[in-house]
Amino acid sequence: MTVNTRAATQASRSPWQIGIPLVWLLLLWLAVTGMAQLEGFFRLFEPDVRSVIYSRVDFSLLLGRHLFVVAIAALVTITLGLASGIAVTRKKGRDFLPLVSQLASMGQTFPPVAVLALAVPVLGFGTLPIIVALMLYGLLPIVRNTLTGLQEVDVGIKEAARAMGMTSGQILRQVELPMAAPVIMAGIRTSVTINIATAALGATVGASNLGDPIIAGIVNGNTAYVVQGALLIGLLALSVDSTFEQVQRRLKADESPRNK
Amino acid sequence: MSLKDAMPVEKGRLSWFSPNWVLLLLSTIALGAFFGLETASVAPNRIVSGTGYLVFSALGWQGALLGMVLILALIGFSCIAECQEYRDAYKAMLVIVMALLALMPFALMVATSRLVDSDLPQARLGIGAGFWVTLFVLLLALVELRTRLALARIWSWSLLLPIGLLWWLCLSLWLEPLALMREYHSRSEQFSEAFRQHLELVGTAVGVSLMLGMGLALLMRRYPRSQKAAFAILNFLQTIPSLALFGLLLAPLAWLAANLPLAASLGISGIGWAPALVALVAYSLLPMVRNTFIALEEVSPAVIDAAYGMGMDTRQVFLQVRLPLALPVMLEGVRITTVQAIGLTTVAALIGAGGFGTFVFQGLGQAAMDMVLLGALPILLMASVADALLGAVSDFLRPGGAK
Repeated sequence: MTVNTRAATQASRSPWQIGIPLVWLLLLWLAVTGMAQLEGFFRLFEPDVRSVIYSRVDFSLLLGRHLFVVAIAALVTITLGLASGIAVTRKKGRDFLPLVSQLASMGQTFPPVAVLALAVPVLGFGTLPIIVALMLYGLLPIVRNTLTGLQEVDVGIKEAARAMGMTSGQILRQVELPMAAPVIMAGIRTSVTINIATAALGATVGASNLGDPIIAGIVNGNTAYVVQGALLIGLLALSVDSTFEQVQRRLKADESPRNK
Repeated sequence: MSLKDAMPVEKGRLSWFSPNWVLLLLSTIALGAFFGLETASVAPNRIVSGTGYLVFSALGWQGALLGMVLILALIGFSCIAECQEYRDAYKAMLVIVMALLALMPFALMVATSRLVDSDLPQARLGIGAGFWVTLFVLLLALVELRTRLALARIWSWSLLLPIGLLWWLCLSLWLEPLALMREYHSRSEQFSEAFRQHLELVGTAVGVSLMLGMGLALLMRRYPRSQKAAFAILNFLQTIPSLALFGLLLAPLAWLAANLPLAASLGISGIGWAPALVALVAYSLLPMVRNTFIALEEVSPAVIDAAYGMGMDTRQVFLQVRLPLALPVMLEGVRITTVQAIGLTTVAALIGAGGFGTFVFQGLGQAAMDMVLLGALPILLMASVADALLGAVSDFLRPGGAK
């Protein structure tokens, strides 16, 4: 843990770190627009097959669909996760706290594939089951981290805020949430990154996204397709993950002077 | 608390109504699902989708009445659960929940005999949404009751075990027409084969990454400069989507098999267990190394000093003091890795590595939902059991022993 925090404070001082997500994004954009130019490179993987560039659907469309699914799931999970995390740490919802926190930790043992597989019989094929599976699976890290973040806020600080005459709502908005923000953000980061990877599995249940080239490649034994899909998903995951990393560092840097 | 108890109680209000809202909500949902959603469905064969039946037609009025009485009792007890005079309400609810869980396979048997036409050899009984929701809600209630009664982990598992056995007995002996069992019987050999493959892959991956992870963690302690880079690489590996990593390993391993006769003779190829194992180990390394490293690092320096003071040499200090003290946290790493590997092995079925994922993806491909369930349910079970077992072991090894 100490290793990480030390690294974080060092890094927040060097401004070029902010460029990392931009570099990944640029690479992603180049890969999406210029995949056809790389035909010679992909020819190396599969010298014999007729087409080496996945062309059934345009890559930018696949990327758009992938992002759409992940974004909708993220929107719902963040809203629901934060709301339930806040609700069960309030006085009125405290009865539900043990159950929700146990569920959030037990839910981690459910593999995303199994959740996806169980969503299909209920919801049928297509984009809907993958969105629901992503929501269910993405909810847990956010709830867990919201709970941890809010519970770790020092009781003394909350009492001091109350003594200053703040209402419960003000304490939540101006004290608890800002102090819990880095931990909550870490949960959101985990959730979204996992979901970008898991969304690719949607291709197996008929949702068209960046998993398509991978599945098509595995089915037809065309490694070039697999590489293209994997490359784009990897770049997307890295872009989003490094963006979140920068946001987290910003939050930590904001908070550190207050702690000292 | 004590001050509040000493306060005079207001007369005239419902003094007995001090509910446990969680259990009240859960049992109300159970009641709603029991009556409002389909208990079971019947299909004449595998392809046709079934017709659903509500509880009255599935279980008859006797079955519906029994279920209703038990769930209403749950609702009643949860209304008085927090009341001082009825301290045993939680225990009574535990008994009722266990009874309901134990009765559920018999409910399926009743539904089978009432609904499935014995003249049709292929007719199958599907488990309906109402049944699943009731089961899920009852399990949630069990979790809540466990917290309220402060039951130790061992206790709750020893309560669940006989019920699990009962389910297994009913499923294997009398529930032949259940769709899940029909799927199982038509491929029981594949099922045990898949189970074996799944276990082997997970076991090997966890074993290899345990060795590698320990080695890496020790190296990182020896060379502190490498820590940052090593963690950066391991973190990077975790961000690559599993499906992509499996796919990416196809090419290099296929090349190895084609160009190295030794690799080919070992059974390494672009598809199958080899890429699956490599990917699983790659994913398992981060939690394993992180936990081993933190575990070894966090042993208090005072304890180490004391050990040296007693005249132990470096080797003894490591083997007899540092390692045993670090063991619970390291086992936590093994637990996380195992659960994660059980899930990832499912995806590995896409590249021909076998395991329960085969059923999931074949079932998805054929739109045979019972087959998907036949793959997904064992995975969930395996993950939960692995989680519980390894959690119990690390509880036991923690200084102070089991709770």
